[in-house]
Amino acid sequence: MNEEKEVEEQPKPLILQKLEEHHADALLSQDEIRGTIVVVLRKEQAYAVLEYLKTDPELAYTFLVDVTAVDNSQMESELMQFDYARFMVVYQLYSYQGQCRVRVKVPVHENDLNIPSVTGLWRGANWLERETYDMFGINFDGHPDLRRILMPDDFEGHPLQKDYPLRGRGERESFNFDKQNV
Amino acid sequence: MGLAKTDTQSAQDVGQTDGNIITTTIDRVINWGRKNSLWPMPFGTACCAIEMMATLASKFDLSRFGSEAIRFSPRQSDLLIVSGRISIKMMPVLKRIYDQMPDPKWVISMGACASCGGVFDTYTLIQGVDQFIPVDVYIPGCPPRPEDLIDAVLQVQQKIASGASPKGVEHLLET
Repeated sequence: MNEEKEVEEQPKPLILQKLEEHHADALLSQDEIRGTIVVVLRKEQAYAVLEYLKTDPELAYTFLVDVTAVDNSQMESELMQFDYARFMVVYQLYSYQGQCRVRVKVPVHENDLNIPSVTGLWRGANWLERETYDMFGINFDGHPDLRRILMPDDFEGHPLQKDYPLRGRGERESFNFDKQNV
Repeated sequence: MGLAKTDTQSAQDVGQTDGNIITTTIDRVINWGRKNSLWPMPFGTACCAIEMMATLASKFDLSRFGSEAIRFSPRQSDLLIVSGRISIKMMPVLKRIYDQMPDPKWVISMGACASCGGVFDTYTLIQGVDQFIPVDVYIPGCPPRPEDLIDAVLQVQQKIASGASPKGVEHLLET
Protein backbone atom coordinates (compact mmCIF):
# COMPACT_ATOMS: atom_id res chain seq x y z
CA MET A 1 0.00 0.00 0.00
CA ASN A 2 2.82 2.36 0.85
CA GLU A 3 4.37 1.90 -2.55
CA GLU A 4 1.14 2.94 -4.16
CA LYS A 5 1.04 6.16 -2.18
CA GLU A 6 4.56 7.10 -3.19
CA VAL A 7 3.80 6.74 -6.85
CA GLU A 8 0.91 9.19 -6.87
CA GLU A 9 0.12 12.30 -4.85
CA GLN A 10 -3.44 11.34 -4.02
CA PRO A 11 -3.79 7.77 -5.16
CA LYS A 12 -7.11 6.04 -5.48
CA PRO A 13 -7.50 3.71 -2.50
CA LEU A 14 -6.09 0.29 -3.24
CA ILE A 15 -9.42 -1.43 -2.69
CA LEU A 16 -11.14 0.68 -5.35
CA GLN A 17 -8.29 0.15 -7.78
CA LYS A 18 -8.43 -3.59 -7.32
CA LEU A 19 -12.22 -3.77 -7.43
CA GLU A 20 -12.27 -1.82 -10.68
CA GLU A 21 -9.65 -4.12 -12.07
CA HIS A 22 -11.18 -7.45 -11.04
CA HIS A 23 -14.88 -6.84 -10.37
CA ALA A 24 -15.84 -3.77 -12.35
CA ASP A 25 -19.11 -5.35 -13.46
CA ALA A 26 -20.22 -5.83 -9.85
CA LEU A 27 -19.67 -2.22 -8.81
CA LEU A 28 -22.82 -0.11 -8.82
CA SER A 29 -21.25 2.86 -7.10
CA GLN A 30 -18.21 3.87 -5.07
CA ASP A 31 -17.90 6.70 -2.67
CA GLU A 32 -16.05 7.94 0.37
CA ILE A 33 -18.18 9.11 3.26
CA ARG A 34 -16.40 10.66 6.26
CA GLY A 35 -13.24 8.72 5.60
CA THR A 36 -14.90 5.37 5.00
CA ILE A 37 -14.98 3.83 1.55
CA VAL A 38 -18.48 2.79 0.57
CA VAL A 39 -19.05 0.45 -2.34
CA VAL A 40 -22.42 -0.72 -3.62
CA LEU A 41 -22.44 -4.13 -5.25
CA ARG A 42 -24.80 -6.03 -7.49
CA LYS A 43 -26.51 -8.75 -5.49
CA GLU A 44 -25.59 -11.49 -7.96
CA GLN A 45 -21.87 -10.89 -7.56
CA ALA A 46 -21.91 -9.75 -3.92
CA TYR A 47 -20.73 -13.03 -2.44
CA ALA A 48 -17.88 -13.37 -4.93
CA VAL A 49 -16.68 -9.83 -4.26
CA LEU A 50 -16.90 -10.24 -0.49
CA GLU A 51 -14.90 -13.44 -0.80
CA TYR A 52 -12.37 -11.55 -2.89
CA LEU A 53 -12.13 -8.77 -0.28
CA LYS A 54 -11.48 -11.33 2.40
CA THR A 55 -9.05 -13.62 0.61
CA ASP A 56 -7.03 -11.21 -1.51
CA PRO A 57 -3.60 -11.08 0.20
CA GLU A 58 -3.22 -7.33 -0.33
CA LEU A 59 -6.68 -6.37 0.93
CA ALA A 60 -7.33 -9.06 3.58
CA TYR A 61 -10.59 -7.74 4.99
CA THR A 62 -10.64 -10.64 7.42
CA PHE A 63 -12.88 -9.11 10.09
CA LEU A 64 -16.61 -8.79 9.55
CA VAL A 65 -17.61 -6.01 11.94
CA ASP A 66 -21.34 -5.96 11.33
CA VAL A 67 -24.14 -7.07 9.06
CA THR A 68 -27.30 -5.04 9.04
CA ALA A 69 -29.83 -3.58 6.64
CA VAL A 70 -31.61 -0.35 5.86
CA ASP A 71 -35.21 0.02 4.78
CA ASN A 72 -35.19 2.85 2.27
CA SER A 73 -38.90 2.67 1.47
CA GLN A 74 -39.43 6.24 2.70
CA MET A 75 -36.18 7.61 1.25
CA GLU A 76 -37.06 8.53 -2.32
CA SER A 77 -33.56 9.81 -3.08
CA GLU A 78 -31.99 6.51 -2.06
CA LEU A 79 -34.61 4.46 -3.85
CA MET A 80 -34.10 6.26 -7.16
CA GLN A 81 -30.37 5.67 -7.03
CA PHE A 82 -30.53 1.88 -7.08
CA ASP A 83 -33.46 0.84 -9.23
CA TYR A 84 -36.02 1.16 -6.41
CA ALA A 85 -34.54 -1.59 -4.29
CA ARG A 86 -36.31 -1.24 -0.96
CA PHE A 87 -33.63 -2.74 1.26
CA MET A 88 -29.92 -2.20 1.43
CA VAL A 89 -27.95 -4.93 3.18
CA VAL A 90 -24.83 -3.43 4.74
CA TYR A 91 -21.57 -5.22 5.55
CA GLN A 92 -18.91 -3.43 7.56
CA LEU A 93 -15.47 -4.92 7.01
CA TYR A 94 -12.14 -4.26 8.65
CA SER A 95 -8.66 -5.20 7.52
CA TYR A 96 -6.15 -5.70 10.30
CA GLN A 97 -3.41 -5.79 7.72
CA GLY A 98 -4.23 -2.45 6.11
CA GLN A 99 -5.89 -1.07 9.25
CA CYS A 100 -8.73 0.26 7.17
CA ARG A 101 -12.46 -0.18 6.86
CA VAL A 102 -14.88 -0.60 4.01
CA ARG A 103 -18.67 -0.48 3.95
CA VAL A 104 -20.22 -2.81 1.40
CA LYS A 105 -23.85 -2.26 0.50
CA VAL A 106 -26.04 -4.56 -1.53
CA PRO A 107 -29.48 -3.45 -2.78
CA VAL A 108 -32.21 -6.02 -2.27
CA HIS A 109 -35.59 -5.74 -3.97
CA GLU A 110 -38.75 -6.33 -1.98
CA ASN A 111 -39.99 -9.01 -4.38
CA ASP A 112 -36.82 -11.06 -3.91
CA LEU A 113 -35.54 -10.81 -0.35
CA ASN A 114 -32.96 -13.57 -0.78
CA ILE A 115 -29.27 -12.89 -0.58
CA PRO A 116 -26.40 -15.37 -0.19
CA SER A 117 -25.26 -15.87 3.39
CA VAL A 118 -21.66 -15.01 4.16
CA THR A 119 -21.44 -17.45 7.07
CA GLY A 120 -19.14 -19.51 4.85
CA LEU A 121 -16.66 -16.64 4.80
CA TRP A 122 -17.03 -15.29 8.34
CA ARG A 123 -18.55 -17.62 10.91
CA GLY A 124 -19.37 -14.54 12.98
CA ALA A 125 -21.98 -13.61 10.40
CA ASN A 126 -24.29 -16.24 11.85
CA TRP A 127 -26.00 -14.18 14.55
CA LEU A 128 -25.64 -10.91 12.63
CA GLU A 129 -27.59 -12.36 9.73
CA ARG A 130 -30.15 -13.83 12.10
CA GLU A 131 -30.69 -10.37 13.55
CA THR A 132 -31.03 -8.84 10.09
CA TYR A 133 -33.54 -11.54 9.19
CA ASP A 134 -35.45 -10.97 12.41
CA MET A 135 -35.63 -7.20 12.08
CA PHE A 136 -35.89 -6.72 8.30
CA GLY A 137 -37.02 -10.04 6.85
CA ILE A 138 -33.99 -10.53 4.61
CA ASN A 139 -33.53 -14.22 3.78
CA PHE A 140 -29.92 -15.31 3.82
CA ASP A 141 -29.59 -18.30 1.50
CA GLY A 142 -27.32 -20.99 2.84
CA HIS A 143 -27.47 -19.79 6.45
CA PRO A 144 -27.13 -22.83 8.74
CA ASP A 145 -29.79 -21.73 11.25
CA LEU A 146 -31.93 -18.81 10.11
CA ARG A 147 -34.21 -18.32 13.13
CA ARG A 148 -35.29 -15.20 14.97
CA ILE A 149 -32.76 -14.06 17.53
CA LEU A 150 -34.25 -11.01 19.28
CA MET A 151 -38.00 -11.39 18.98
CA PRO A 152 -39.93 -14.40 20.36
CA ASP A 153 -40.13 -17.36 17.98
CA ASP A 154 -43.88 -16.93 17.47
CA PHE A 155 -43.58 -13.22 16.62
CA GLU A 156 -45.04 -12.21 13.27
CA GLY A 157 -43.56 -9.53 11.06
CA HIS A 158 -40.23 -7.78 10.99
CA PRO A 159 -40.31 -4.74 13.26
CA LEU A 160 -37.62 -2.56 11.69
CA GLN A 161 -39.42 -2.49 8.35
CA LYS A 162 -40.71 1.04 8.02
CA ASP A 163 -44.34 -0.01 7.58
CA TYR A 164 -44.33 -1.85 10.90
CA PRO A 165 -46.28 0.22 13.46
CA LEU A 166 -44.15 1.61 16.31
CA ARG A 167 -46.47 0.29 18.99
CA GLY A 168 -46.77 -3.05 17.25
CA ARG A 169 -49.88 -4.92 16.25
CA GLY A 170 -51.04 -5.77 19.75
CA GLU A 171 -48.24 -8.23 20.54
CA ARG A 172 -47.41 -6.63 23.87
CA GLU A 173 -50.98 -7.00 25.08
CA SER A 174 -51.79 -10.39 23.60
CA PHE A 175 -48.63 -12.45 23.89
CA ASN A 176 -49.07 -15.94 25.19
CA PHE A 177 -47.16 -17.18 28.24
CA ASP A 178 -47.89 -20.82 27.43
CA LYS A 179 -46.61 -20.80 23.88
CA GLN A 180 -43.15 -19.64 24.87
CA ASN A 181 -40.64 -22.09 26.21
CA VAL A 182 -39.26 -20.64 29.40
CA MET B 1 -48.68 -18.05 58.37
CA GLY B 2 -51.51 -15.80 59.40
CA LEU B 3 -51.52 -12.46 57.71
CA ALA B 4 -54.66 -10.98 59.25
CA LYS B 5 -54.51 -7.66 61.03
CA THR B 6 -54.25 -7.92 64.82
CA ASP B 7 -54.54 -5.72 67.86
CA THR B 8 -55.37 -2.36 66.38
CA GLN B 9 -55.51 -0.42 69.63
CA SER B 10 -51.74 -0.42 70.30
CA ALA B 11 -49.24 1.21 68.00
CA GLN B 12 -46.36 -0.60 69.70
CA ASP B 13 -45.13 -3.91 68.39
CA VAL B 14 -44.39 -5.01 71.93
CA GLY B 15 -46.18 -4.13 75.14
CA GLN B 16 -44.31 -4.17 78.46
CA THR B 17 -45.84 -4.36 81.94
CA ASP B 18 -44.35 -3.56 85.35
CA GLY B 19 -43.40 -7.15 86.11
CA ASN B 20 -40.95 -7.50 83.21
CA ILE B 21 -43.45 -9.49 81.20
CA ILE B 22 -43.55 -8.91 77.46
CA THR B 23 -46.81 -9.48 75.68
CA THR B 24 -47.23 -9.63 71.92
CA THR B 25 -48.84 -11.75 69.25
CA ILE B 26 -47.29 -14.41 67.07
CA ASP B 27 -48.11 -12.41 63.94
CA ARG B 28 -46.35 -9.33 65.22
CA VAL B 29 -43.20 -11.19 66.15
CA ILE B 30 -43.09 -12.97 62.83
CA ASN B 31 -43.71 -9.77 60.87
CA TRP B 32 -41.05 -8.00 62.92
CA GLY B 33 -38.61 -10.70 61.89
CA ARG B 34 -39.72 -10.66 58.28
CA LYS B 35 -39.44 -6.94 57.82
CA ASN B 36 -35.92 -6.80 59.18
CA SER B 37 -34.55 -9.62 57.08
CA LEU B 38 -35.93 -9.10 53.60
CA TRP B 39 -34.01 -11.15 51.06
CA PRO B 40 -34.26 -9.38 47.71
CA MET B 41 -34.22 -11.12 44.37
CA PRO B 42 -32.76 -8.59 41.89
CA PHE B 43 -34.26 -8.65 38.41
CA GLY B 44 -32.06 -6.03 36.82
CA THR B 45 -32.43 -5.63 33.07
CA ALA B 46 -31.34 -2.03 32.49
CA CYS B 47 -29.81 1.10 33.99
CA CYS B 48 -32.02 0.92 37.11
CA ALA B 49 -29.98 -2.14 38.03
CA ILE B 50 -26.89 0.05 38.20
CA GLU B 51 -28.63 2.19 40.79
CA MET B 52 -29.65 -0.98 42.58
CA MET B 53 -26.00 -2.03 42.75
CA ALA B 54 -25.11 1.40 44.13
CA THR B 55 -27.83 0.99 46.74
CA LEU B 56 -26.23 -2.23 47.89
CA ALA B 57 -22.68 -0.90 47.85
CA SER B 58 -20.96 0.82 50.73
CA LYS B 59 -21.99 4.39 49.98
CA PHE B 60 -25.71 3.82 50.40
CA ASP B 61 -25.53 0.44 52.14
CA LEU B 62 -28.93 -1.17 52.07
CA SER B 63 -27.73 -3.54 54.79
CA ARG B 64 -28.40 -0.78 57.30
CA PHE B 65 -32.05 -1.71 56.79
CA GLY B 66 -31.60 -5.46 56.87
CA SER B 67 -32.07 -6.15 53.17
CA GLU B 68 -28.58 -6.82 51.92
CA ALA B 69 -28.83 -10.59 51.53
CA ILE B 70 -29.31 -10.52 47.75
CA ARG B 71 -30.28 -13.95 46.45
CA PHE B 72 -30.04 -14.88 42.82
CA SER B 73 -32.27 -17.83 43.46
CA PRO B 74 -35.95 -16.88 43.63
CA ARG B 75 -36.58 -19.85 45.93
CA GLN B 76 -34.55 -18.17 48.67
CA SER B 77 -35.97 -14.67 48.42
CA ASP B 78 -39.12 -12.83 49.41
CA LEU B 79 -38.69 -9.43 47.74
CA LEU B 80 -38.57 -9.13 43.96
CA ILE B 81 -36.99 -5.90 42.69
CA VAL B 82 -37.90 -5.45 39.01
CA SER B 83 -35.46 -2.84 37.78
CA GLY B 84 -35.46 -2.17 34.06
CA ARG B 85 -37.26 -2.69 30.80
CA ILE B 86 -39.19 -5.94 30.43
CA SER B 87 -39.79 -7.10 26.87
CA ILE B 88 -42.48 -9.52 25.77
CA LYS B 89 -39.76 -12.16 25.50
CA MET B 90 -38.56 -11.51 29.04
CA MET B 91 -41.97 -11.28 30.71
CA PRO B 92 -42.53 -15.08 30.87
CA VAL B 93 -39.13 -15.41 32.55
CA LEU B 94 -40.04 -12.75 35.11
CA LYS B 95 -43.42 -14.38 35.70
CA ARG B 96 -41.76 -17.72 36.27
CA ILE B 97 -39.27 -16.24 38.72
CA TYR B 98 -42.12 -14.57 40.60
CA ASP B 99 -44.01 -17.87 40.70
CA GLN B 100 -40.95 -19.65 42.10
CA MET B 101 -40.63 -17.33 45.07
CA PRO B 102 -42.14 -18.71 48.29
CA ASP B 103 -45.05 -16.86 49.91
CA PRO B 104 -45.30 -14.34 51.43
CA LYS B 105 -43.51 -12.29 48.78
CA TRP B 106 -43.39 -8.64 47.86
CA VAL B 107 -42.60 -6.87 44.59
CA ILE B 108 -40.95 -3.50 44.00
CA SER B 109 -41.34 -2.07 40.50
CA MET B 110 -38.30 0.14 40.21
CA GLY B 111 -38.25 3.00 37.73
CA ALA B 112 -40.40 4.25 34.91
CA CYS B 113 -39.78 1.33 32.51
CA ALA B 114 -40.82 -1.42 34.89
CA SER B 115 -43.78 0.61 36.15
CA CYS B 116 -45.23 1.87 32.87
CA GLY B 117 -42.87 1.24 29.97
CA GLY B 118 -41.17 4.59 30.39
CA VAL B 119 -40.19 6.26 27.15
CA PHE B 120 -40.23 2.90 25.35
CA ASP B 121 -43.77 2.90 24.04
CA THR B 122 -42.83 0.31 21.42
CA TYR B 123 -43.95 -2.97 19.94
CA THR B 124 -41.89 -5.15 22.22
CA LEU B 125 -42.01 -3.57 25.65
CA ILE B 126 -44.38 -4.44 28.49
CA GLN B 127 -46.13 -1.23 29.51
CA GLY B 128 -45.94 -1.91 33.22
CA VAL B 129 -45.14 -5.26 34.83
CA ASP B 130 -48.20 -4.87 37.07
CA GLN B 131 -50.24 -6.14 34.13
CA PHE B 132 -48.81 -9.57 34.81
CA ILE B 133 -47.46 -9.70 38.36
CA PRO B 134 -48.79 -7.91 41.47
CA VAL B 135 -46.67 -4.93 42.50
CA ASP B 136 -46.56 -3.66 46.08
CA VAL B 137 -44.42 -0.55 45.75
CA TYR B 138 -43.68 1.54 42.65
CA ILE B 139 -40.64 3.79 42.40
CA PRO B 140 -40.81 6.70 39.95
CA GLY B 141 -37.66 7.98 38.28
CA CYS B 142 -35.47 7.31 35.30
CA PRO B 143 -33.50 5.88 36.95
CA PRO B 144 -34.48 6.48 40.60
CA ARG B 145 -31.80 7.49 43.06
CA PRO B 146 -30.56 4.85 45.51
CA GLU B 147 -32.39 6.77 48.24
CA ASP B 148 -35.63 6.09 46.38
CA LEU B 149 -34.96 2.36 46.39
CA ILE B 150 -34.13 2.48 50.10
CA ASP B 151 -37.39 4.37 50.66
CA ALA B 152 -39.27 1.68 48.74
CA VAL B 153 -37.71 -1.05 50.86
CA LEU B 154 -38.71 0.89 53.98
CA GLN B 155 -42.26 1.13 52.63
CA VAL B 156 -42.31 -2.62 52.12
CA GLN B 157 -41.10 -2.98 55.70
CA GLN B 158 -43.91 -0.72 56.89
CA LYS B 159 -46.42 -2.81 54.97
CA ILE B 160 -45.09 -5.96 56.56
CA ALA B 161 -45.05 -4.43 60.04
CA SER B 162 -48.62 -3.21 59.68
CA GLY B 163 -49.70 -6.75 58.96
CA ALA B 164 -50.93 -5.88 55.47
CA SER B 165 -50.97 -8.68 52.95
CA PRO B 166 -48.73 -8.61 49.91
CA LYS B 167 -50.54 -7.65 46.70
CA GLY B 168 -49.94 -11.17 45.48
CA VAL B 169 -52.27 -12.80 48.01
CA GLU B 170 -54.96 -10.13 48.39
CA HIS B 171 -57.12 -11.78 45.77
CA LEU B 172 -56.91 -15.04 47.73
CA LEU B 173 -58.07 -13.40 50.94
CA GLU B 174 -61.11 -11.80 49.30
CA THR B 175 -62.71 -15.09 48.32
